[in-house]
Amino acid sequence: MALLQIAEPGAVAQEPASRKLALGIDLGTTNSLVAHVSDGDVKVLPDGSGNVCLPSVVHFGAEGTLVGSAAEALAVSAPHDTIASAKRYLGRSREELAADSYTKLAESGLAFETSQGPVTPVEVSAALLGALRDRALSSLDMPIAGAVITVPAYFDDAQRLATRQAAELSGLNVLRLLNEPTAAAVAYGLDSGEEGVVAVYDLGGGTFDVSILRLERGVFEVLATGGDSSLGGDDFDQRIVTLLRDEASLHSLSVAQERALLRCARSAKEALTIASEIEVQLDSIISGFGAVTVTRQAFNSACADLVNRSLDACRQCVADAGVSQIDQIVLVGGSTRMPIIGEVVAALFGKEPLNSIDPDRVVAMGAARQADLLIGNRDAEDLLLLDVIPLSLGVETYGGLVERIVPRNTTIPVARAQEFTTAKDGQTGLIVHVVQGERERVEDCRSLATFELEGIPPMVAGAARLEVTFQVDADGLLEVKAQEATTQATASVVVKPAFGLAEDDIATMLRAGYEHASEDMHARQLAEAKVEAEQLVAGIRAAVTSDGDLLSGTEHEALMTAVNDLVDASQGNNIESLRKAIEVTGRASELLAARRMDRSIKSALGGISVATLEGEAES
Amino acid sequence: MVAEGFSGAPKDYFELFQIEPQFDLDTDDLGQRFRTLQRRFHPDRYSGGSAAEQRLAAQVSADINAGYQALKDPISRAGHMLERQACDLRALERQPVSGEFLMQQMQLRDKAEALSSDDNEARSHLTAEAKSLMRAELLSFQEAMEKEDYELAGSAWVHLLYLQKLNKEVAGSSDLI
Repeated sequence: MALLQIAEPGAVAQEPASRKLALGIDLGTTNSLVAHVSDGDVKVLPDGSGNVCLPSVVHFGAEGTLVGSAAEALAVSAPHDTIASAKRYLGRSREELAADSYTKLAESGLAFETSQGPVTPVEVSAALLGALRDRALSSLDMPIAGAVITVPAYFDDAQRLATRQAAELSGLNVLRLLNEPTAAAVAYGLDSGEEGVVAVYDLGGGTFDVSILRLERGVFEVLATGGDSSLGGDDFDQRIVTLLRDEASLHSLSVAQERALLRCARSAKEALTIASEIEVQLDSIISGFGAVTVTRQAFNSACADLVNRSLDACRQCVADAGVSQIDQIVLVGGSTRMPIIGEVVAALFGKEPLNSIDPDRVVAMGAARQADLLIGNRDAEDLLLLDVIPLSLGVETYGGLVERIVPRNTTIPVARAQEFTTAKDGQTGLIVHVVQGERERVEDCRSLATFELEGIPPMVAGAARLEVTFQVDADGLLEVKAQEATTQATASVVVKPAFGLAEDDIATMLRAGYEHASEDMHARQLAEAKVEAEQLVAGIRAAVTSDGDLLSGTEHEALMTAVNDLVDASQGNNIESLRKAIEVTGRASELLAARRMDRSIKSALGGISVATLEGEAES
Repeated sequence: MVAEGFSGAPKDYFELFQIEPQFDLDTDDLGQRFRTLQRRFHPDRYSGGSAAEQRLAAQVSADINAGYQALKDPISRAGHMLERQACDLRALERQPVSGEFLMQQMQLRDKAEALSSDDNEARSHLTAEAKSLMRAELLSFQEAMEKEDYELAGSAWVHLLYLQKLNKEVAGSSDLI
């Protein structure tokens, strides 16, 4: 591997002593988990009672907020204050929120009405992330340097953004949003060290994902991904609810009875993974009602269309990936415990799926591996993930049609430029409507945001040339930049998310959070800022050591002054001045960073012959 | 702050991957170069670096992805080779094609539309026909490039776009797997 020993421009030299704590978090629809790497092993962290799964339920009662099983216990008695499966509503519209039959929609906005007032799905998710973070803090007693949070591969931009906002709100530093199937493949791939094509079938509580990946020489490349972001175990529960309701002629139930029935249905589904026939007691819902028999066969036929929907997505994904053979199949998500899933997946791919890792834990474990790598605890050379954008990005054009800008399954990060022009003389603004989806008409795709370009120099119609760059980063998040090409004027882009929270809303929520926060919260943030400062200083020092010759004497001096100021600021306890110093020093380092990158690009493949590349392949 | 040389100017992807600018290329070798570059410049490699480094890495990594996409597929590779000769691809796409070619395309389209989803024999026959036409156009593109006849190469490229579309239609009307 001689080729790979060239000095790494980005990797910050890490002393073994400075191991940092980075978490892998699986923020699930029904259960959430947190894991970390310790001494090379992945550990999924349990709560005080030894449970690793945190039920993704939050209770917003008049007496306070409860998270997990404590909240779940109140789901029947206080349904409106107890929000479950909030992940289904992240980045979704008000109409979609209204579909939840157990909660009450707030009078306005994207929120549920609770005893604590309106609560958004982002806040529910933030409460879950906060609970997992507290679990890690109390059992590991170390500052958390960052976290990798997993999302369904099929999540669109709005859903990813909402997840990121939830993390921001909970105070976690997000190292990366990682796709759940990719995380699962990492958990398996690293353990077995195999090469080949892997299919990941991930049926969670509320989402279904399928990904086809190729592992080759330590690079995990996602070839295609697909799925259904509203298909999951919840839907299978509902089929049992319907079976029970029809069987027992249960109609016009109260919300509390509905929740109790759902609970019965879920236990029935779990029991049917082992038994082929079960008796469901409905006494607890309507006294004196007795029991109803449900067979696995009846359940399987009631769910056949759901199963087929997932198989259609698998076929499409294989076709998109353009592979002729699948070497491994990985099953992820608690819902894959249903025997029917293992059977149909094995039949489709003609191969028995891997199941050596608990399907509930595998995603969090893969996320922890990636978090450990991103925070710099491991040799950065051992694995690289190349993921894709799951759904095409486009803009609205004349007649409500979609002009595709980034097709689905394009490897990220990606940047595409598109030119726009003005329709009227002297027009100084332009509205660009960005959508995501595969359909040709705007109304059939998901509306992501409206970008308003302002400050276009007045010209005759059609003369202005606005170059709009759509960038999708490694988290799968979209960013838009615009420039007028003839005058070089930069048009400002005002983002108006279609179904989400604006940056201002998040800032307000954060402030509200801080006002109620204890000393503990402040100490935590200070500790994190210190970690960040330390990281920045180490990074700059390493860069100066290896490439200091790229700076002139005065440039070097200016950078070192900034570094020293930052070191001073991190000795103190003033969080505001520390944050300011981090920002100033970061900006001061940009010149060196740019020059190093440029040098690096020029040398990357320089002098490497095909023979060397082949040598790498064999080693 | 923009790194000199990476300021969004038109890029030469052959140069980025350090390979000879020619149509015939070893896609396995290209794949290895792609992975080698991404191993080095992907933003994940800079997660411990400064914000500036992370931004630059994202930009460079996006360029490497774009370059791989452009060179991996023969038709987009042909397009990129024309771009390197300062051909305006958008203008080329709008250029009219010969009546003879258009007639042939319309006949093939009609056949594609008439395909029923279970007629695999007719489908594979049509696919084979489209593929053989593609091979001929790729060959004529290559010859034209060698002779530096960019007009002819451009028209071969446009023909390839038509055939690519046809291919997609033929594949699209079949059941998957």
